[in-house]
Amino acid sequence: MRQVKFIFALWKANLQAAMEFRAAFFTQIIFMMINNGVYFIFWILYFDKFNAVRGWDINTMMLLFGITASAWGIGAFFFGNFISLAEVIVGGRLDYYLSLPRPVLLHVLASKSIGSGMGDLIYGIGSFMLSGYFTPDGTLRFLLGVFAGVCIFIGFLVIVQSLSFWLGNTVALSQFALSALLTFSLYPSVLFDATTKFILLTLIPAALIGTIPAEFVREFSWQSAIQMVSGPLVFLFLSIFIFKLGLKRYESGSAIQVEV
Amino acid sequence: MKKYLSILTMQIINNIAYPGDFLGRSISIATFIFIFAGLWGTTFTIANTDAINGLTFPNMVWYFMMAETLELGRPRINRTISEQVKNGEVAYILNKPYNFLLYHFSAGLGDGAVRMTLNLIVGSIVAWILAGAPPAPLGWLMAFVTLIGAWILHFCFMALIGLAAFVVEETNSFELIYQKLVFILGGFLFPLDMFPTWLQNIAYALPFPYMMYAPARLFVKPDVDLFWRMLGGQAIWVTVFVFILAFVYQRSEKYLTVNGG
Repeated sequence: MRQVKFIFALWKANLQAAMEFRAAFFTQIIFMMINNGVYFIFWILYFDKFNAVRGWDINTMMLLFGITASAWGIGAFFFGNFISLAEVIVGGRLDYYLSLPRPVLLHVLASKSIGSGMGDLIYGIGSFMLSGYFTPDGTLRFLLGVFAGVCIFIGFLVIVQSLSFWLGNTVALSQFALSALLTFSLYPSVLFDATTKFILLTLIPAALIGTIPAEFVREFSWQSAIQMVSGPLVFLFLSIFIFKLGLKRYESGSAIQVEV
Repeated sequence: MKKYLSILTMQIINNIAYPGDFLGRSISIATFIFIFAGLWGTTFTIANTDAINGLTFPNMVWYFMMAETLELGRPRINRTISEQVKNGEVAYILNKPYNFLLYHFSAGLGDGAVRMTLNLIVGSIVAWILAGAPPAPLGWLMAFVTLIGAWILHFCFMALIGLAAFVVEETNSFELIYQKLVFILGGFLFPLDMFPTWLQNIAYALPFPYMMYAPARLFVKPDVDLFWRMLGGQAIWVTVFVFILAFVYQRSEKYLTVNGG
């Protein structure tokens, strides 16, 4: 309960900071929605020409975009440091968080908010509502799918970026992991062969963010449900474990810092 | 001219000073070509055809390789300019004995030359593995010539977005929208040949196809008529945007406020 209060206080502070420059904040949201919409034109053109690919049509793609954009949006807006954790570790900026009596990882992740994430979230919800799967049970499955997506995005990137504790600067590797995860999650894994599908379920778990949740929303199956619950939880717990393990190796930079 | 050549050379040396980082960046192009080959491989299999709107599967993969080389090699000059405007560094650059825009042009060209060369090498290896032998030498020649115009147009857009920082605080959003317009109307994700006619007409009336479609399409299917049409289009748009950029730059200088320190 104490941690819940704490995280809500952080989100409130982040929102207040964003509201300080509200014109820039709302511009970011609107532009991100336009950005996603323009990108989706590719799929409109594609399915206008080819109708369907291995059972995937324009509605399924809208659903996939809805889930991925919402998951990314929640991660970026509420846990914005999940994409810059490596920089925090390498820059010796964990000192600040270590000196406070709060869970370090949670505190670091929620200390930053990326305003455009709200644009992704709104776009994602809109895309889902227009996909044709906006029914009461579809919505429940969508929410579960988004939750799984958030866990995978954060869990996977925390694991990769925690490697900084052992390897030093892994900013370039983290950027590649982020780019690969995000790009692959926006394509249905039915496009790829069996080996690639296996990689997309394990090494780069992009299928667990986009394809699997989308298939789960389309049609309930126990296999998808199990993958959706177990995969994200494994990644989330593994990320916490690896971060804590790495934290023991953390060396302070003794730099004088001001956290704003 | 000599000083701009020195800036260009310096930037090339800077880029190859860190080989690890230099190679790391090229992994991205391999990933993207792999995804694209997966999408079009499946599409061609399902459509049960060798060619779609005149383009074969190897054409599509090599087309995307060239388009991606240009996209990933395009230096984000807008971010540098925007940052310099916001943190006031621009004041120090303006009193140096070189032109602000030509400085960024040379530095960007130095960055771009290195990145594009590396992307071209890595991208060609991946495309060759996935789709077979590369296009004919005439395609390489036409692509290279049109790459010059495409790059100048990219520079003009990036510089205009960067200069917008004189007026608005946040310019990243403009870059994202610009990028997506190139992705769609420039034919980055989908060659213009696949567009419905009405959309092709709209696209050709805009500068975007001359920045992306021109080099990529001529690379995989060299065509003398198309080459001259694309070159003509590039000449017109480059003239238009160079004038716009010069005008905006002049106006931007008037917005500049230096607070000492």
